[in-house]
Order: sequence, then structure tokens, then C-alpha cells
Amino acid sequence: MLNFEYDHIVVRYGELSTKGKNRKDFIRCLSGNIKKRLADHEKLEYKTLHDGLFIKLNGEDYDVIAEELGSVFGYSYFSGAILVKKDMEEVKEMALKLANKRDYKTFKVAARRADKSFPLHSDDINRQVAGHILRNKDIKVDVHHPDLTIYIVVQNNDIIIMDEKVRGAGGYPTGINGKALVMMSGGIDSPVAAYLTMKRGLHIDCIHFASMPYTSKQALDKVLTLAKKISVSQEQIRVHVIPFTDLQLAIYDNCDEPYAVTIMRRMMYRIADQIAKNNKIRVITNGESIGQVASQTPESIGVIAKVCDTLILRPLCMADKIEIIDLARKIDTYETSILPFEDCCTIFDPKNPVTKPKLDHCEYLERKFDWQSLVDECVKNEEIIMVSYRDKEEELF
Amino acid sequence: MKKIYFDNVSTTSLHEEVLKTYKDLLDKYYCNSDALYDDGVVIYDMQEKSRALIAELLKVDKDEVIFTSGASEANSLAIKGLCLNQSERKHLITTIYEHSSAYNAFKQLEEHFGFEVTYLMPEDKSGQISADQLKKAIRKDTLLVSVMAVNNEIGIINDIKEIKELIKHYPGLYFHCDLTQAVGKIPFDLQDIDLASFSAHKIHGLKGSGVLVKKRHVGLLPLINGGQQESGIRGGTSNALCNIVLAKTLRLALEEEDKYHAYMLELGAYFKERIKEVEGIKINSPEGAIYNLINIETPLTSEVMLNALNLKNIMVSSKSTCGSRKNESNRTLKSMGIDDDHAIRVSFDHHNTKEEIDYFIDSIKEIIKKYA
Repeated sequence: MLNFEYDHIVVRYGELSTKGKNRKDFIRCLSGNIKKRLADHEKLEYKTLHDGLFIKLNGEDYDVIAEELGSVFGYSYFSGAILVKKDMEEVKEMALKLANKRDYKTFKVAARRADKSFPLHSDDINRQVAGHILRNKDIKVDVHHPDLTIYIVVQNNDIIIMDEKVRGAGGYPTGINGKALVMMSGGIDSPVAAYLTMKRGLHIDCIHFASMPYTSKQALDKVLTLAKKISVSQEQIRVHVIPFTDLQLAIYDNCDEPYAVTIMRRMMYRIADQIAKNNKIRVITNGESIGQVASQTPESIGVIAKVCDTLILRPLCMADKIEIIDLARKIDTYETSILPFEDCCTIFDPKNPVTKPKLDHCEYLERKFDWQSLVDECVKNEEIIMVSYRDKEEELF
Repeated sequence: MKKIYFDNVSTTSLHEEVLKTYKDLLDKYYCNSDALYDDGVVIYDMQEKSRALIAELLKVDKDEVIFTSGASEANSLAIKGLCLNQSERKHLITTIYEHSSAYNAFKQLEEHFGFEVTYLMPEDKSGQISADQLKKAIRKDTLLVSVMAVNNEIGIINDIKEIKELIKHYPGLYFHCDLTQAVGKIPFDLQDIDLASFSAHKIHGLKGSGVLVKKRHVGLLPLINGGQQESGIRGGTSNALCNIVLAKTLRLALEEEDKYHAYMLELGAYFKERIKEVEGIKINSPEGAIYNLINIETPLTSEVMLNALNLKNIMVSSKSTCGSRKNESNRTLKSMGIDDDHAIRVSFDHHNTKEEIDYFIDSIKEIIKKYA
């Protein structure tokens, strides 16, 4: 309808601002993450604000930047902004353009002066701008629940005009809370768990257990594809691929069928524990959800997690499958997750897995074979693959 | 490490002479073969020369050769094109183990167009469809019999001559033969066959290229509508350069069939001999099956065996590649009473060697020892 374009974006950090002495670290981390995510757009210029980041677009496409900002965790909202000279006529014209952007029925103007020497007070600005809009458009003022709020900030050298506040993805800047190792199967749950882990400020590595030839190359590719998709929130992800077949075969040779999955999960935790320690990672997370399968009953989780002294967090443990699927759809991993490739959890699917395993029986079964050296082999033979959403495919298409 | 390709029934490598000619053509020609200026006419003439040469090799008339995108299209066009072009006869006969392109065409005719289809099942270990069996199935209103010359999953060779002899005696009954796995492998004769299909990529030619032979007296309803191309039976701008190199592809395939025949027999025999050494392996292909294809049963499920061989750089199929991503049970194997969960299809061409077979045998022994 109108030929106006945002020329700036203001990112507000929100929750962070309350963080007292750590604030500097937070802001450095978050600004760094935002700049890395937007690194493709060379023309952008950044200016640090006391509670945010001011980005000058210099002709870069607002919609593209807005979408990319959506995958960065830690800020509370951003707004498209237009900078005008300290001239009320310009302010009024631009505010009118914003009001005309959509078919708004009600509006209000919220002006603020950072430069107190500006001759007009906030209320005067509000009145002048609102008056101009009311004279030129069929619209009403509603100071409580307006369709549109026009924010005006008078700065030392210019005036910023903004309309919508676009909510960010929330959470904390990825990396601010250290590192986590995410157990990644290729199913629906684990990518969502990985996403939530990053959201709370943890920088992630992934660990994947591959059982070739029982699982195919495509099953591994699927996991790498998932990691690539979620890497938008932290640039790149290191995936530790563990050759798990020999250990898995030994489990099935030595353990009775109902306990096979319990023992398998214990071995996975042992390996994850070791990989975490080797990489100075202090948290392990995964997609376990209470009651979802036999190995995820409270009893099973309890017995399985006994083998691992690294802190284990389960972001999905209280979530329903349907909620997890909704989130998987939102982060665009669902369609990949449901591709029908076997993973090591489904391949030896026992008929009657135990739902209330006994710790002493697990320990009895594990005394029957030398699992320690097989676990060591797994750790020793890990293959590390680095993936990033920025990895380019061959220029074929 | 060098990859070993044992999946030549699925598709074949491109013949270097075909590749060279095709590249030369791609560099020079892009005009529409139906265009009336010189550059179009040049391409048209080459395509028609190719058609004439193919006809000569197949001993049919030039206007009986229809270029298609491959055997699947040729099968669909032959079967549906014939059936939908008439309304008197509503009964069709085929086998349970045709390629999915033929089988699904019959299914469609059954489900959507009111045809009745008899699917013949193999009656003995040879897997062949006998003339007797066929004779019993033929009715007054039978329009079409479609039987493949060579089966693509376990290599059954049908006695096409016997079937032709029988069908000759029924006026108004048409015979379609899918020759896809036969061309370049065994001799065939198109006399008394009304419709026949084959594909270029199974004989070291290009993908997206094939032929339907349609005898002059056969009427077909076009499935792809378009202009004047292929006598109005198959519309769409001609894939002229593909069609041009198909003559060379077919000529080379027929020449090499003779040249390598003894070698291929030896290779097949060697494989069968050596596979005996491996415990837990059974040959699924019947006696007298086509020499370049051997279907075996292993102690591992097909998928696991395929993955394990893949890790050893050996390429084989578990079932027809055209159904490889579907979780359906296998019609051919089921009809022969073969366990389709454990089947692997190994298929050779003359590029394969005994050394490769040795490596395959060593690998499969190792895999079975470790995972079975």
C-alpha cells in the first residue's frame, strides 16, 4: 500500500537486563550470536544499546533478517524501525505511513525522550502525532488495547519510529550456560530436546549410536540432516558417531530379551558419560519422556541413569507426544524424523521389554560379559562429524 | 577402494561409445526435431535414421518403432493404450510376476475401467507360464495376453515361442511381451508379437529412453496427448538426441551379446559354484534362469545384508529397484514360495570379473560369520 521500508531493526534483550553482574557476559554472548547468525549480510552495521542492539540495514532485506533473527535465542523482542531527522513534520508523516500499513481500527502513540533537551515533552509529541493521524485516517485512539502502538524515541541526533514488537524465540543466548551433550537418535523427540537445550543457553554436541549394518547409511544421514536443521541456533554442531554394533551384539548374546533394551540404554549412558568427560561437557540431555516406552518408565530411567554421574537433564520428560510433535513441526524437524529408517533402538525391538527393571538383575547380567572393553572401543572409535546449516550442497541445481 | 557393481538388472553403466556420440550431439544440437528450418530437419532426419536402424535390428517396419521414455512408459502405453481403444473385450491375461509398470497398469484397468484380469501363477519350479495354462485361461472376450520374456527378480525365462504359437490361433487376441531383461541377453523374434517393450538403460544406454514396438494392425489410444510426434501416439517434443543414440545402443548390445556370451555364462557358473561354499546360502533363481541374474537367500534380512555389502562397497539389490522404497511383499518371490525377507539379487554384466566374485564371496562369508 505504501512505499516505506524499515531501515533499522532494534533488538531488545528483555529478561537479560535484569541479570545484574552477569549482564556484560550475556550481552557479549547474545550480540555475538546475533552477528554470527546474520554474518551473510555484510552491509549491516551494529550499535550496542544499553538493553539491546541497534542494526542499520543499509538496504538489506528486512524480512530475511527478521526470519534469521527468529532462530537466535536470548532476546525478548525486536522491532522494525525507521530513523528520521529531529523534525516533527517528518515524524508525523512517517507515523501516518505506519498507521496506513494495515487496516488498523485503533492506535496509540508512545513517545519517549532520551534527549531531554528536545523542546517538546513526550505528551506533546504524542498529541501532535496522534492529531495528525486522526486528521488523515479513519481510526480511533485506544490507550489500553490498541491494534497499533507507534513508539517514538527521541535520541541525541535523530528520532526512531517503530510499530510492531516481534517476539523472539526466548531463552538464553546459546553458549552462556556452557556445553551439553545431546543423545540423538533420529526420532521425533531428540531434535526437539536438542532445540530446547540450546534454548536454555547450552551449546550442544550430539552423540549418535550407529549400528551398521543393522542400520543403514541413510539412518546416519538422517541424524546429520536433523543436526544441520537445528544448527541455525548455534552455527555448527559437532556430532559424535559411535560404532555401536559390536557392543549391541554382545548385549543380545548375554542378556535375556526383556532386559536387552535396559542394558543397551545403560551402555549408551556409559559411553555418553565418557564422551562428555573427554570433552569437558557437564550436562547430558536427551529426548526421554516419562512413560513413552518401556525404557522411559520412572523405574527404567532410574535404573538406567545409575551408570552415569554427569548431570542428566530431560527437557521433554513431562511433555506429551502431541506437544513434542507440535514443537518438532515448528522447528522443521518432524518431516525428517518420520523418514522410515531403522535406528539402533528399533532394530532389536524385543517383544516384552521390562518396564520395571531391577538394578541387581542388570548388574548380574552385566557381570556375564566384558562390556567395559567394548565401551572403551566405542569411545575410542567415535567418528566426529561437523555439520552446519551453512554447509553448501554441490552446485548441481 | 573400487566399488563393485552387481546390480546390472537395475540399470547398467553407459557404453563409452554411446556417451561419446551423445556428448557430441548435445554440443551441437538443440533445435526441435519437428522444426521446419534446416537445423530442425537435420535432427529429424537423424532420428528417423535411428528409427529405421532399430527397425532393421528388430526385423520390423520403421513405422512400427515408437520412441518412449523407457520400458515403463512402453508397457503402460501398450497395455492401457490397447485396452482403452476398444470396448468389446473386457478380459485380460498376464502373470503375477510382471514388472510393476505392467502389473499396475492391469490393476488400474481392473479397478477403474471395469476390466477383468487373470493373473497366472507359476505352476512348477521353473516359474515358467506354460501354453497349457494360458490356453485354459483364454476366453472369448480375452483381448490381451501380456507375458514378460525374462523376469527381473529371479530370472525366469518364459517360452515366448510356445506362447506365440498358441495365441496365433485366436483371432482378435493380442500379445504383448516385455523384453526389457531379454534384449542383449537372449535371442528374440518379434514375429507374431503385437506389442513389445524395452529400455535403453538396461543395455548400457541412456535413462529416459526406450521403445515400444507396435505392429501396424494394432490400434492404441494415446496416453500422452500432444502433436504429430510418434505418429500421434506419443505426444511431446521428441527427446531426439536420446532417440538418435538408441540405434547405436541397441546395435552394440546385440553385437556384445554374442561377443561376451561365453564369458557371461562362465561368470554365472563361477558365481554359482563359489556361492556353494558359503554356509546358509540358497539359490532362489530357478534352473534355466537367465545367466546374468542370480537371486539368493541369505541368513540375514535383505536390508541388513544390503547395508553390510554396501559397507564393503558392493552394490546389490534386495528386490526390484522400482519397489525398493516400498514396504510391500514381493509378488515374484511369493508366487514361487520364496522367503522375500532374506533375498538378495546379484546381477552381472561383462565388465564384472571373477576377482570381484571372489571378493564378494569373502565378504559375504565374513558378514554371515559376524552377524548371522
